[in-house]
Amino acid sequence: MKDVITLLTPRILSFKGTGFSKDNRGGLFKRLLFGTMGLIFLGGIIAVSLRVLTYFKEIAELGDILALKLLSMVLLTFFFLLVFSSILTSLSKLYLSRDLSLVHSMPVPSYKVFIARWIESTVDSSWMVIIYTLPVFISYGLVYQAGPFFYFNMVMTLLSLSIIASGISSVLIMTAVNFLPASRIRSIFIFIGLCFFLVLFFAFRFLRPERLVDPEAFATALVYLKTLKTPAPPYLPSTWAFDSIRAFFVGNVSEGMFHVALSWSFAGALVFMAIIIAEALYFKGLSKTRTAKARLFHFKAPGSFFLKFLSRPVRAFAVKEIKTFFRDQTQWSQLFLIAALIVIYIYNFNVLPLEKAPIKTVYFQNLLSFLNMGLAGFVLTAVTARFAYPAVSAEKEAFWLVKSAPIPLKNYLWIKFMIYYFPLLMLTEILIVATNILLQVAPFMMGLSIINIFFMVPGVVSMGIGLGAAYPDFKSENPAQTVTSFGGLFFMMVCAGYIGAVIIIEAGPVYHLFMSGIKETDLSVFEWIWIIGSFAIVFLIYIFAIVLPMRFGERKLIELLI
Amino acid sequence: MIELKDLTKTYRNLVAVDNLNLIVPKGEIFGFIGPNGAGKTTTINMIGGILAPTSGTVMICGINMEAFPEKAKGKIGFIPERPYLYEKLTGMEFLKFIADLYGVGEDVFLKKSQEKLDMFSLSDWSDDLIESYSHGMKQRLVMAAALVHDPEVIIVDEPMVGLDPLAIKMVKNLFRSLAKQGATIFMSTHTLKVAEDICDRIGIIHKGSLIASGTPEDLKRDANEIDADLEQVFIRLTLE
Repeated sequence: MKDVITLLTPRILSFKGTGFSKDNRGGLFKRLLFGTMGLIFLGGIIAVSLRVLTYFKEIAELGDILALKLLSMVLLTFFFLLVFSSILTSLSKLYLSRDLSLVHSMPVPSYKVFIARWIESTVDSSWMVIIYTLPVFISYGLVYQAGPFFYFNMVMTLLSLSIIASGISSVLIMTAVNFLPASRIRSIFIFIGLCFFLVLFFAFRFLRPERLVDPEAFATALVYLKTLKTPAPPYLPSTWAFDSIRAFFVGNVSEGMFHVALSWSFAGALVFMAIIIAEALYFKGLSKTRTAKARLFHFKAPGSFFLKFLSRPVRAFAVKEIKTFFRDQTQWSQLFLIAALIVIYIYNFNVLPLEKAPIKTVYFQNLLSFLNMGLAGFVLTAVTARFAYPAVSAEKEAFWLVKSAPIPLKNYLWIKFMIYYFPLLMLTEILIVATNILLQVAPFMMGLSIINIFFMVPGVVSMGIGLGAAYPDFKSENPAQTVTSFGGLFFMMVCAGYIGAVIIIEAGPVYHLFMSGIKETDLSVFEWIWIIGSFAIVFLIYIFAIVLPMRFGERKLIELLI
Repeated sequence: MIELKDLTKTYRNLVAVDNLNLIVPKGEIFGFIGPNGAGKTTTINMIGGILAPTSGTVMICGINMEAFPEKAKGKIGFIPERPYLYEKLTGMEFLKFIADLYGVGEDVFLKKSQEKLDMFSLSDWSDDLIESYSHGMKQRLVMAAALVHDPEVIIVDEPMVGLDPLAIKMVKNLFRSLAKQGATIFMSTHTLKVAEDICDRIGIIHKGSLIASGTPEDLKRDANEIDADLEQVFIRLTLE
């Protein structure tokens, strides 16, 4: 055990040392900002959970069944999220980390290295999932007035589920690494993990869990009740967790303890088995992975042919950007996720029960369309945060090439801007047009949405590139993660403010224009001044949003020491 | 040629390079040596236009780096100490990327790239992704890329790190031949034997200041170590 603790020491010391770093200027402000954002987010989850559960509780007899069904679904999702997260973390911790050569050169048996890495992996893959689902479980405790045992049991249950998920993942990874072609392991795992996640994601969404609160969607009350009462598979660890929590609801402590003990005993057995497997397979598999990387697919990345019209330095960067993007398998996974996001987004509009809306449908459809500009803007922000924001950091330590190249940094940033601007514009316009068609909005609203998005996108992309350049992280193994840093959070907040400001300023004028069209009445001079003034302000915001972040990023990059 | 005038770089309270004045004429190989943390890489980064000086000027072939950075950088072939490259490009694609940035013509590029790949023994791997290259291969590729546009000035930080003896010999001969053709080479190194073998002049930097400069013989004279080798001279001067 002493060896395992020693192996974990660098990680613990690094964690403690982050606060003392010389580069940690403004650390208190950043921590306060992150802390506040985190608390707001957690508060939001608690508020929504409390609202839903209180609503359920008010429904006589059926309410408790609904709440339990929801709990079962949450636990199942929680468990699969943990498994998915653990697969990627275990692969990285056990086989891909940079310090593995150093650790394995030490006089410590490989199974002990495995234990240390597995502990790290378990903590890394589960802490965030636990923190963000904890409010849901706490809400259950509050609404159903559970005693202190409930909370203790809840923590124990979530911990055991995390250990089980991490144990399963590590056993899977260790076994698979010994059978898969070594040079392509990372690509294959990312691919499999992604497919698994997408299947789950679509399965969950197409089940339409929202129907559970709408008994009318089922042919008879009997079918509805039958659907709700279908027990979860008894061999799933999430079912043991569910049974345990349910038992504590009804005050049956001994049954609750039995199920949580079942979960822990399985976790213990799994860890024991994983250690035995590690002793036999871990080092063997690791040796297999120590080989030159190979491409999963060989294909000619698009780019150079269509970019002939660009000047040569600009084309050089554009081609480089496109090639490195398409050859990085971690980017593919993100592309698939984006595709899934679009499908689900549009699908949600398709199943909107507009006919049940309490207000006049034409007005409601167009109101939704207007608000949809904001929603699409937030989707755009999320996608920009994932692709455009890390674009400068993605140069990694090869950024010296950019600094030493005979090209101004300003041009370099605008090249990056252009590369991300066109695809993101297309994506957002597709979202807007498709959802507007489904909503059957008025031509005025369709035109307004298309034009608004056309001008809104460059601002968001500029903020992504500019702020990504102002707060780069060239040392990150995965630049996509830079979005979780201070700069990324700042980017998202500024974007939210930008989109919010545009929507708020336009709301009044658009309402008046739209209603005058419907009622076929003329607008007063004052209304026209207001409308033109508002659109002029919005236009100025668009211009500032494009220019200022790029200048800020350029200035920061020039000052940057590498 | 390279001209440094009152070049200074400070990081908060630390003076990394202090008032450096130096002229490296056309066709000269200048060796820049000094203990760890003396300011070698900072100086090299300022000459390469990667780092802005706190004060002072860098002139490359008569072009002021601060006023016309792109023009000055266009004259330079920069070889950093650690060969961080775009791992998802192939060797050939990387050379093309550099050639496009420096405006090398298509026809010239085809000839030059093949010539450099052959010279650095990389032809067999030119279509492989850089991520599969060894450290030495990456170092050779950086060198090949730095020379693809026929630079007038070559800035090299630790050129021999990661190279095998054959490659070291080849690089030494190459530098000599490039200098003969008129290229100015500014080279930082810890390998004193290499500096002694190929440099026309050597400068010793210590705590940010240039404490000695001249031919190896000049340095020996300055250190009163006429019969000593460069290593002893270096130790003597930097310990004083």
